[in-house]
Amino acid sequence: MATETPGIAAVGRRAFLRWATAIGGAASALLAGVPAVRAFLSPTFRHRREEKWIRLGEVDQFDPDVPTKLDFVDTVHDAWVESRRLRNVWIYTEDGENFRVYNGRCTHLGCNYFLDEEKNVFRCPCHTGFFGIKTGEVLGGPPPRPLDTLEVKVENGALYARYQDFHLGVPEKAEV
Amino acid sequence: MAVFFRWLDERLDLVRAKRELLDREVPDRLTWWHTLGSATLTVFLVQVITGTVLATYYSASPDHAYDSIRFVTGEVASGALLRGIHHWGASAMVVLILAHMIRVFSVGAYKYPREVNWVLGVGLFLIVMGFSFTGYLLPWDQKAYWATAVGTNIAGTTPVIGGALVALLRGGSELGTATLARFYAFHVLWLPLILTVLVALHITVVVRQGIAARPRDLETGAPKSTRDPKYPEYYHAAYLASKRGGVRFWPDILGKDAIVSAATVLVLVLLAALLGAPLEAPADPTDTSYVPRPEWYFLPIYQLLKLVPGSLEAAIAVGVPSILLIVLIGLPFFDRGSTRNLLHRPVAMVSLAVLLGGAGFLIGAAGQAPTATAEGAALTSVQRAGRALYQAQQCGGCHRISGQGGEEGPDLTSVGLRHSAGWLHSFVESPSRFHEQSRMPSYGPPALSHQEIEELAQYLATLRGREQRGAPAPQFYDTFPAPRRP
Repeated sequence: MATETPGIAAVGRRAFLRWATAIGGAASALLAGVPAVRAFLSPTFRHRREEKWIRLGEVDQFDPDVPTKLDFVDTVHDAWVESRRLRNVWIYTEDGENFRVYNGRCTHLGCNYFLDEEKNVFRCPCHTGFFGIKTGEVLGGPPPRPLDTLEVKVENGALYARYQDFHLGVPEKAEV
Repeated sequence: MAVFFRWLDERLDLVRAKRELLDREVPDRLTWWHTLGSATLTVFLVQVITGTVLATYYSASPDHAYDSIRFVTGEVASGALLRGIHHWGASAMVVLILAHMIRVFSVGAYKYPREVNWVLGVGLFLIVMGFSFTGYLLPWDQKAYWATAVGTNIAGTTPVIGGALVALLRGGSELGTATLARFYAFHVLWLPLILTVLVALHITVVVRQGIAARPRDLETGAPKSTRDPKYPEYYHAAYLASKRGGVRFWPDILGKDAIVSAATVLVLVLLAALLGAPLEAPADPTDTSYVPRPEWYFLPIYQLLKLVPGSLEAAIAVGVPSILLIVLIGLPFFDRGSTRNLLHRPVAMVSLAVLLGGAGFLIGAAGQAPTATAEGAALTSVQRAGRALYQAQQCGGCHRISGQGGEEGPDLTSVGLRHSAGWLHSFVESPSRFHEQSRMPSYGPPALSHQEIEELAQYLATLRGREQRGAPAPQFYDTFPAPRRP
């Protein structure tokens, strides 16, 4: 070895350098490693869901007992890719004060249902599902649950709905 | 644990490997300057770690690259910090590798028997510059686009092969999708692979040859030239003597390396946390008012090009770096004097001083030069959609923005100063409502949807005469025609 009998100073210096290496190495690994690991695991962290309140129109423009369809363009974020999708909701009010807003997709497989004006029910053309206009209950056909109602609020005389999509084809109403 | 270690040792001879690698004797009096190489390696490892994670959030396409960078900076946990570390790490690599080269040069450590390792080192330096050049483009912001446009144009001035070289670098004649894809592939596949191999060779050679002793131990009684047949014999005897009373590689040398490396990483993280990584407005190939400035380590050549007449530009841009490279590679082969201390090598000392002084002067001059860089605010997604429509609808066929485009219609360079987005929306929808003689077709539905017109109007409202410094506050002269009675 370098010196036959290392002096006290050399022993002390070497012990210090060993510790310095261990601590310095660990510190470097943590400093660069923690942000790297956090960023990598980032998708598993809880994300705040953005609340999409859609302005549907003035409260008094909706006639009582007549379901109204409203199309709107939704901006969808898929990581850094932004795309636009055409969505629609149905608005129903019995008294002009209390509103029910239904997600425009049939709860069976997501087709757009329409208003069957003769029978005054919602009818889905894909597999002939029927829903009531007042509560969205299933009147017939394969849909597993009633129409999905959306959260509604009235502000300054305007009607808003919070748009959400739900899992299709299952009895429970669970947000996507 | 001990049993497992004994089992492994019996097969792999770990104890002997440790003795040869870690306990080996190295010459005493190694300075703190000797830690620069290992610090460079440490920063490279940091770049690998941060870069690998950044790559998982990156999209190498002009449509999405910029958005993916914004995503990693804004949405990913620690993403901004991670990008900051990678950004500052790139500069640190260049600083450290240059400092390492200067140290090796100053003590003549490239001379016999280390010529091969010097050449490997020059190769490593080139690869690091390649990393900078390719990594620079990836955010696809204004700076990235225009610095790369200029960089590839410089390559294009190479005599004879210039045109082919540009096509090769850009993957086509224009800087675009293919360029970004190949820069990305080089940045994350080829260059790391080559660098890893070169680093492995570089370190293997260091271990085999031992760390260079200080100049004075290799100078007393040395033959004048390293070409002298007696020199190898002299060298090996002198080197052996220098190791007597030397120190152990571990922990005497590695310990110092670790301290400097850890301090370097700490500085990187601090810079990343305090300053972050810059991101300008998204790349806009139609924006001719943008004045590109390269990263600081390319500034000397950038400034040099401004000082020479245009006819000499090609010769300087390609010639100076090429000559420097040839000198660097050839250095150990034509410098055969056995003197190693820089203070006793006047030619080497003056050359180094001139080179560093010149580079420093040029960087300083470039730093003072006025730039017309407008720090454009990033366009929102709606405004970007509008810009895409502007291009798709061939608006530039009639209108000009910053001198680009047709002469038929009004110049739109500063239209955002004169009109609000709302006015622009109405105008685009039906120009004849505003001017009966307007030759502009109306773009109301079905030509463009209501939403598309709004996007276009939002984009036009951002055009505020970016070429003027200190543009005046927006002043609207919106006058709407009286509503038409049905």
